[in-house]
Amino acid sequence: MKCKDVNSKLIFFLDEELPATEMQAVKEHLAGCTDCALFAEDMKKTLSILETEKTPELNPFFYTRVKAKMESQEVEQVLNHRPVLVRVLQPLAFSIILLIGIYAGIKLGATGTTSKTKTVLAEQDMIPYWNELDAEPIESFLME
Amino acid sequence: MSDIEIIEQLKQGNEQAFRKLVESYRKLVVNTCYGLLHNREDAEDVAQDVFIEVYRSVDSFRADAKLSTWLYRIAVNRSLNHIRDNKKHRWFSLFESDVKTENKKLLQVESSLTDQPEFELENKQRAIILHQAIGSLPEKQKVAFSLSKYEDLSYQEIAEVMELSVSSVESLLFRAKKNLQKKLYTCYKKKCM
Ligand SMILES: [Zn+2]
Repeated sequence: MKCKDVNSKLIFFLDEELPATEMQAVKEHLAGCTDCALFAEDMKKTLSILETEKTPELNPFFYTRVKAKMESQEVEQVLNHRPVLVRVLQPLAFSIILLIGIYAGIKLGATGTTSKTKTVLAEQDMIPYWNELDAEPIESFLME
Repeated sequence: MSDIEIIEQLKQGNEQAFRKLVESYRKLVVNTCYGLLHNREDAEDVAQDVFIEVYRSVDSFRADAKLSTWLYRIAVNRSLNHIRDNKKHRWFSLFESDVKTENKKLLQVESSLTDQPEFELENKQRAIILHQAIGSLPEKQKVAFSLSKYEDLSYQEIAEVMELSVSSVESLLFRAKKNLQKKLYTCYKKKCM
């Protein structure tokens, strides 16, 4: 077996996943080749870190933290309820009002031509009441 | 309390059952998250979210499924989301320069601890290389590899968690190891520490 072949199989050799004949061939090569043996040793050390990390120290407050986090998320949800109303429902209400306004405007515009006289009359009825309020000062102004 | 009992009582909102679930599966969940995140605080933080999700969605848990499989799946998904959310926006990953950056950070911290045995520093440097190498693997390879190495799951169990065939898992693990070997070799040759 050549160095290149050995290097490409080392990780499987270290995990003992090669067929028996290949396991033997790699083993024999490593016994006689310092370069490959050094890399094998280096990789073995690095991969052995995995073993040391497998048994973490357990945090004794873990459950308490889970509960606290859960409760704070529930409070947050309640608080978020208002902003949802404000952020979504308010613009929605405004849009609806605007649409009603536009619709009413179109309706009025459409009916305006047919019942023009009626509107004008109604307008004339209204004017005196409006004018009475501020017409008087003008009249008295002219009189002077 | 068996898994079925835990689930049944959890569905009824029993707090003791929830405590039992957390105590029994805390190690599994934290370890799974750590295998993907390689940071203790992040792993615990994500693990807490896993249990909260379990508590809130227990009604959707099927009685014929395995509790551990469900927990593994949530832990993996949440960890991957955490990685995606925290990923620096880059077009490509630079394994070697990431190792160097992390090593520099380590040495800055370690220089103050002069009485530390040398092999401890060496192990910390090896851990950086290993974590960066695992972290640079494609997502599915990374999941398969960490479930295999940190949780010692069989191909069959990994296949269930990842909802893949056993042969797909075999191929993922094969490619993961090939990629790791390549990265470790580069690091070894270029002395990236
Ligand atoms: Zn050789």
